[in-house]
Amino acid sequence: MRQSLAGDQRAYVELLQATTRLLRPFLSKRLSFSSEVDDVLQEILISIHKARHTYDGQRPYKPWAFAIASFRLQDHLRMLYADQLRHATDFDELEESLHEDVTESAISYESISKEVEKLPEKQATILRLMHQDGFTAKEVAEKIGMKESAVKVAAHRAYKVLKERLER
Amino acid sequence: MTNINDLVANLAQEASAVKPAPHPFLLSLQWMGAAAIYLAVSLAFSGLRPQIVEHLQNVWFAAEIATLLTLFIVTSLSAALLAFPDLHQKRRLAFAPIASFALFLLVMIFAWGADSPPAPLPVHSFECTLSITLMTLLPAVWTFYSLRQYASTHYHLAGCVASLSAFSVGALWMRLHEANDSIAHVVEWHYLPMLGIGLLGLWLGKVFLKW
Repeated sequence: MRQSLAGDQRAYVELLQATTRLLRPFLSKRLSFSSEVDDVLQEILISIHKARHTYDGQRPYKPWAFAIASFRLQDHLRMLYADQLRHATDFDELEESLHEDVTESAISYESISKEVEKLPEKQATILRLMHQDGFTAKEVAEKIGMKESAVKVAAHRAYKVLKERLER
Repeated sequence: MTNINDLVANLAQEASAVKPAPHPFLLSLQWMGAAAIYLAVSLAFSGLRPQIVEHLQNVWFAAEIATLLTLFIVTSLSAALLAFPDLHQKRRLAFAPIASFALFLLVMIFAWGADSPPAPLPVHSFECTLSITLMTLLPAVWTFYSLRQYASTHYHLAGCVASLSAFSVGALWMRLHEANDSIAHVVEWHYLPMLGIGLLGLWLGKVFLKW
């Protein structure tokens, strides 16, 4: 690093390559995809380049490089999670988009009961209780120990599956 | 991998000789020197409080000034260390303001206890906070400008500590200038706003020191 700070380009190439070899396993342990590792590694190398004047060659290089690597990794993860959060569907919004009364149905339960039984057990139980036994979503929720909104969501998903199967 | 190799080659082409940043101790010394000059000039214009020498013989007033000065020195040093990605590998020293804050708090608690019977409250109130904040602006600007030249990986904390360092210059000036002995007033209008400044510094750090 001392040589590269003095402007020795060959030493600088060697340093950056050694840093790449040093940081790749560190990043691979913490990130899922190799493309992601490459992206963050590039960010780190650029940051090391930008901040190289803050290294004087008098103290160990590795803690300095790892400090920058951790900083950029955290930055990347923060952005990634923020992005996922932005694109996540709000549960309240989902609830609003559901029908007010999910127990109303244009077709009889008996006519589709065979398809209902093919659904996952929880969804089938919910539909059976709502449409065969006539319980409301709230009552079903109390009966099977779920939240009312979760019952509505499960019912909504079951309707979707049933609709696809019946339209086939 | 090809992208990385290309990037390394490009960065190496751009790499010319660079002057390493000064040691953080030297950097903080520069800030402290500038702040001392600023404080001296400000006091020369505004004037020292009457009978300052006698007041300095009061143990708690002297202790307050000494701990405030310590806080200023320690926060300046810490801000300089926080300017470096690895805190110049002096992590403990970078977090030293916590200890000096605790000491300052302790001194203020004792000073409050010793203020018996309580000194009369001055007629003014928020004007002190306003004056200190105005006095703080210049040191804050130069500290933040200086910090921007480096590469802080703890930019929130660096912003907070730099703001507190600048605010302690203002607080020192006010304490050496204002003829007031009421600890209640000093705590409420001089030092409590420090907390707000610290929080503001966290945000300013994000805005100005992120790289």
